[in-house]
This record gives sequence, structure tokens and C-alpha cells, in this order.
Amino acid sequence: MSTLTPEHPDLRTNYLTHSRGVLSWMFTLDHKRIGVMYLVSVLASFLLGGILALLVRTELIAPGETIMGQDAYNRTFTMHGAVMIFLVIIPSIPAALGNFILPIMLGAKDVAFPRLNLTSYWLWVIGAIFAVMSMVVGGVDTGWTFYAPYSTEAARVGVVYVTVGAFILGFSSIFTGLNFIVTIHRLRPPGMTWFRMPLFLWSLYATSIIQILATPVLGITLLLLIVERVFRVGIFDPALGGDPVLYQHFFWFYSHPAVYIMILPAMGIISELVSIHSHKHIFGYRFIAYSSIAIALFGFLVWGHHMFTSGQSALMNAIFSAITFSVSIPSAIKVFNWLATMYRGSISLNTPMLYALAFIFIFTIGGLTGMFLGTLATDIHLHDTYFVVAHFHYVMMGSALIAMIGGLHHWWPKITGKMYSESLGRLAWALVFVGFNVTFFTQFMLGSQGMPRRYHDYSDTIGNWLPEKTQLFHTYHFISSIGSYVMALGFFLILFYLLHSIFRGRRAPANPWGGRSLEWQCTSPPPHNNFDAPPAVGDCYDFSVLEWDEQEGGYKWREDAPHPGGQDS
Amino acid sequence: MTLLTTILGLLAAATEGPVGGGFWMPRQASTAADVVDSIFFFILWISVFFFVLIVALMVLFVIKYRRREGHESAKTATHNTALELTWTIIPLILVIIIFYVGLRGYVGMIQEPRNAYEVWVTGQRWSWTFEHDNGAVQTNVLTVPAGRPVKLKMTSTDVIHSFYIPDFRKKQDVVPGRYTYLWFEAPEPGQYQLFCAEYCGTQHSQMAGIIEVTAADEFDDVIAQKANWIDEYADEDLPRAGLRLYPRCQSCHTLDGSPLQGPSFRETHRLWGQKRIFADGSETVVDENYVRNSILNPGAQIVMNYPNVMPTFQGQLKEREIRALIEFIRKLDEVVDEQGGPRE
Repeated sequence: MSTLTPEHPDLRTNYLTHSRGVLSWMFTLDHKRIGVMYLVSVLASFLLGGILALLVRTELIAPGETIMGQDAYNRTFTMHGAVMIFLVIIPSIPAALGNFILPIMLGAKDVAFPRLNLTSYWLWVIGAIFAVMSMVVGGVDTGWTFYAPYSTEAARVGVVYVTVGAFILGFSSIFTGLNFIVTIHRLRPPGMTWFRMPLFLWSLYATSIIQILATPVLGITLLLLIVERVFRVGIFDPALGGDPVLYQHFFWFYSHPAVYIMILPAMGIISELVSIHSHKHIFGYRFIAYSSIAIALFGFLVWGHHMFTSGQSALMNAIFSAITFSVSIPSAIKVFNWLATMYRGSISLNTPMLYALAFIFIFTIGGLTGMFLGTLATDIHLHDTYFVVAHFHYVMMGSALIAMIGGLHHWWPKITGKMYSESLGRLAWALVFVGFNVTFFTQFMLGSQGMPRRYHDYSDTIGNWLPEKTQLFHTYHFISSIGSYVMALGFFLILFYLLHSIFRGRRAPANPWGGRSLEWQCTSPPPHNNFDAPPAVGDCYDFSVLEWDEQEGGYKWREDAPHPGGQDS
Repeated sequence: MTLLTTILGLLAAATEGPVGGGFWMPRQASTAADVVDSIFFFILWISVFFFVLIVALMVLFVIKYRRREGHESAKTATHNTALELTWTIIPLILVIIIFYVGLRGYVGMIQEPRNAYEVWVTGQRWSWTFEHDNGAVQTNVLTVPAGRPVKLKMTSTDVIHSFYIPDFRKKQDVVPGRYTYLWFEAPEPGQYQLFCAEYCGTQHSQMAGIIEVTAADEFDDVIAQKANWIDEYADEDLPRAGLRLYPRCQSCHTLDGSPLQGPSFRETHRLWGQKRIFADGSETVVDENYVRNSILNPGAQIVMNYPNVMPTFQGQLKEREIRALIEFIRKLDEVVDEQGGPRE
């Protein structure tokens, strides 16, 4: 580890200024630049998916046709789901933040396979182009789940575009997972045993296992879908002797583990945020690390809980329900460990910590409501209603995305070398937190009262709709839509002040928060090759070696604290 | 088990709203609703407990341990196996209980009832067809007896739909190529909302229906009348009978001239006696035979520029009903106005 004196060469250039020109970015092998390109792409996709969401919520604010007809609505909610899942949530933390942080946390110069990393990014771009192109050729209206036989026989041709896009995106995901696994196995620095790694790396490792084992199944499934559609083979189409429920098994075999791809890295971030901003050693390191692996493995065994009403046998339903509950336990363990970390800590309520607290609040609700859905008797009533929509937005958006935003704020100084406005950060946080809960908590009641999902309209002018249902649903939909506008305001504010910080922000110190993982021991932004030599590490959660330096506006190593020299520090 | 049932009952009673439905759940209109709601509230109370516990601790810690002068973080233990096992095992026991309670409730919900009144259900985009054993056919409205188990045998003729009655707490996917089953018993006569709960395309939200639960002593008469309703129409009134059948055609054929998946009946009406051109280039005169063939063998003659998606109604319409539809289209202008609204 090199000490940062003003004469240090790294202070004169960093990875951003190391070389110039568009081509130096497009063909870069620097994991940090690749991470930044992913970040920009993922956030742009989030903007697209968010606009689609606002269109959906605006249509639903009142019964009857508000801003669009049925067909347009069906295409809108489909693209909202497909864009958010495939282009935003799945890649966001591993590819955007993980690519940047993982090698630096390991004291390495880069990932194990930098060219594969660049390939992953361009595959993402190509996949995204296909997916978005589907909107141009008439759209897709199957829902992001592309259920057969609707997707194979009746839906618009856009289905082929978006499934080809998802197929290509799958490879991006697989290659990233492969890269991370090898990097973690082979490029750890001296002293960093498995149980000395920051927990963010454990979460990325567990995620990568899921990525490489599960994504191929999605790839094959989508390929079969296209083959069925084009060549009318008879895999899923009952008219040709196929089984439509088979599609659901194939699809959910990937798509359930996929949600753990979304949440595990998020939990890894929360472990970092809670401990660093509480200035206290993480509690229960081993349990947290093992729980990540447990979630990854159990996550493969529960896909049938998406299919309790599909016609699946009662025995299968019972087995899937039982295993589903087993997955909830490791997640609960993490939440308790984070609380125990905060206990008797010294908690700084800055923006990253606020997002971590929001995560705990929201994820608790999201996780607990999963129990209603994993329970057979109640799921019969709640399946395919807004209760499910509320549940998955609580865990995917309110948890995974919130953690990503928290991580973005936490590592923003490191990535850009600039500090954002803390007061705007807190204001935006409040808008997002309140807006989110108003938008989605109302949807739990909407669902338990019986409103099905993927409905364009709930007006009692439709034949056979009872007025009592319309009135009740209208109240909740109205409140929910207002919440979504508040939340959107929060996100636009974040966009504004983050962009503003790039041009006008205060220069960031190497260690603004007092973290001890290796990324805080290089400059903000990091130099091109991260470290001259792999630094030796000690316990990355022992913050007692750090102290606040008023002059630098950040933390630095205490004069009297020993530097790690080997395994026993 | 009686202790558990008592606790469940108390919890449910504490949170139940008025008979017309509460804050969380709609009214309980089937024998299964009570069980489902009890389990829901059981899970709800456990959830509320843990949510309050976690958030209260979180807020407490944020306030009590906020970073300020003179307060450093304490160097506590970084793990505590006994504590960690405790908060692993207690939730594990709770979820096992929840699973078990849910499984028991579910088994009760799906167990085949004896002496059920059986109905064949067909889901198609975007309406429900109900066929009773006595020959009565209903569209979107299902009349059933109160206080008696009703068993639905369901299939789809196109894509996956789902049969969902919120007030009964019952749902089952309706899948093409096979039958799936759903049963319920509704003690109280009334009208209960039916929804399609599996996305099936453009008019998914329009595929609603009503379950019309009729008092048991009136049911037999009501259903007999439905089976033979068309016999009440004299020959010259058959066009009006056709209008009554029209809802089964409504999702694809309008009466005002605008095209949907299929040509508007008004267009067919206007072409009566004249030639119509088909996609394969052939043509035929629009007459009684043409309409009959279109109903029974729709794929044989597809009108130019329309898709070949109409299902056959072979075996689903009585002879007199087919005749009613023919007369309806032939005399369309006498029965409905330009916008398709009924004339008096």
C-alpha cells in the first residue's frame, strides 16, 4: 500500500484523465472505465423504465381510458418490466458498481479477464438495442414473463426482438459472473483469506454463482420460445401437442434465482454501508457470508412458488412452499446482524446511511409479505393480484435499487473524485422514501381486496364490473399514482445534484466515510492501475485504525496504528 | 391444535371488518374465505410484530447512537453464536408453523367436494362460457345454487386465463389442452365478481364476469328457464333472441361497422345477398348458409384482411340458436341502431 503524499505520482493523473478520446473509452480494458460505462447505461435505462412506469401509473390514476388504450398500456407495462429487470436491476450492482469496486477491494490491478469484461459490456449494449428495437417494430405486450402460448401464437412480432435481446444480455451476465469468480479465487492479496474479504465481495461471489448456473437456462428457454414461434414445433403449444405449463417451469427456473442476483449484491452493499457509517465492526461476519451462499443455493429450489395456481400438483405445491420458507431465514439473519452492528456504534446519518436504513425498513416489509405469498392457502387468493406487484417492488425496487443508489452515493466520491450536496441528498432521499412507500404500500391492500395485475382498466362501465370494486380500487390507485410522482421528483433531484457534483462538487478525499476496505486507501478517483503492488490487509471492519482529518476533510490512518504486515494483523 | 385454532380465531376477530368486507379483505362469500382470512391475519400479526420490533430498534439505535462529540463506537463482540442461533431458530420455528397452517388450509380448499353441482367452463379471449348439464349456456354470468358445493371443470381454447373470485378466495389457472378444477360453496345468494387473473392479451381487464348465487329452492327453476330460454321466442322474434346471444360474439364483432378481430356484423348485414371476398380469393354470397358455416367452421372462409382466429361454436349452439343468430344479422337494422344500441 502506498502512502499518499502530495508528491505521489497518482495524484497527478487518475483513471479518468489517463487517456482521452471516445475510442479510449469504447475499447478500454480498465475495469473502472467499464464500470462507469455500465453505470451510465444502466442509469439511462432506469430513466427509460421509470418514464414507462410513470405512464403506467398515470393511466391507472382513474378508471376509464386516461392517457392510452388497452393495447398501448399492455405494451407499456411489458417494456417497463423488461427494461427494469434485464437492463437495470440485474446488471446494476454487479456490472456498474461491482466492476469498479471489486478489483480495487482486492488490491488488484483489474479483473482476471479484462477483455471478457469489455465484451460483457458490449454484449449488454447489443442486447439493449434489440430490446429497445422491439418498441419500434410495434412493441411487445406479453408481460416481461412472455408466457406461452400467448407469446408463441398470438403476441406481436416484437416478442422475438426482446427475447433475442434478453438472450444476448444473458451472456453479458454470465461472462461477468465468470470473471468475478475467477478474480476472487485467484487475485486476492496477501492476508486476505476468504473470511477476511469485505462482505460485498462475498455477495458478488454468491451472485456470480447464480449468474453462471441459472442464466443459461433462461437463454435456452427464450431460444425455445423463438423456435416455437417461428417453426411451430409443439413444445409449448397444446394445439401441436405441447405443454404451456412447461414454459413456466423453464422460465421460473432462471427467473427465481434471478431475483437473488438482484438482492444479494444489494445486501452486500448494505453490510458495507451499515458498518462503515456506524463506525463499527460488522456483527456476525461468518453468518452473513454463509447466508449469502445459502440464499444462492436455496434460491434454485423454489421456482414453483410462482406457479401455485398453474395446475401444478398439490404435492409439488407443498414442497415448493416448504422450501420457499427456508430461503427467508438467511435473509432474516442478515437484518438482525445489521441491527446488531448499529448497536452501540457511532452512526453518521449521511445519505448512504439513510439509504441503508431505508433498505432495512423496506426490505423487512418486502420479505415479510413474501410469507403471505409462500403460504399456499393465502397465495391462491393473492397470486396475480397487486399484492404480488407490491411485494416485488418492495424487494426489487425498494430494496435492491435503493441499495444500489445508496452504494452509488457511498462510492460516488471514489468514482468521480467529487462530493455531492449532502442536503440535497437527504431531501431527495426523503422524497424517494416517502414516495416509494405511498406508491407501493397501497398496492398491498389493492391486491388483497382482489384487484388483478396487468389490468389496463378497472371501470364499472366495463361489462360485469361491480361498482363497489371500482370505487375501492380507484381510491388506492389514485393514492399510489400520487406517490409515484413524489418518488419521481426525488429521482430527478438525484440526477440533478449528482450531475452537478461532477462539474461543481467539492474535491473528494481518499476516504470520506472512514472505510477500511482497500478502495479507501487509494486516491479519489483511483489511479489507472489502482495500486503499484498488492497491499497487505488486516481486518477490513476494524475502524479503530482510522481517524478524522479536518484538513483533508476525510479519514486517514492513525499515526499510532500499525499497518498490516501479514496474516496476523 | 385447538389452542392454535383459538388463537387464529381471536386474531381474525380482532381484525375483521364488517360483513361487507374489511380493510384488507373483501366480504367472505364462500366457506373457504374464513380459513383463508384467518391464516392471512395470523401471518399479518406475526409480520407486524417483527416489523415493529426491527424498525423500533433501528430508530432507537439511530437516535441513541448517533455520531456526536465524545461518543465513540463501543468495541463490542463481533459475533455471538448463542444470539445468532436464537434469531435463526425462532424465525425458523415460526415459518414452519406458518407453512403447516397454510398447507392445511390449502388442502381443505382443494379437496373434492361430494355432491357438487358441476359446470363446464371455457375461457377464451375475452369472455367466459358456462355450460350446465341441463343444456343451459351462459356467457360471463354464472348462475349457481347457494349452500351447495359447485365444481367447475375448466379449459381454455386459446391462451392461459385464470378464474378468480376474490370474495370466494378462489383462483385457478385455465389452461388450453387440459382441464383444471375449482370448487366453491357460497352460502349467501348474491352477485360476486369474477376476474380473469392471467394476462391474456388486449382485453384482459375486460374479461370480467359475475357469479350469480341463487337461493337453493329457486335454482332449479331458474336454470331450467335458462336452458330453454330460446323456446320462448316466436319465429318472428328470433332476431331479438339473436341479440341475447350476441355477447358471445361481442369481443370480436361489433354492431356499428367498426372492425375488431372479426368483421362487424353490420358489414355482413349490409352485404346480405351480395358477394363477399375471402383471403384465398374465393367468394360467396352472404346468406343463411354463409353465416351458418362461419359459426360452425370459421376457418374455411376467412374474410380478406382479417386473421384466422375465430373459434368454432360447433356443439355449443342449439339449432334454434344458430337460426336466431342468422336472423339477427339478416334483420340487424330492425333490432339495433347505427351505434349498435338496441331499438325498442
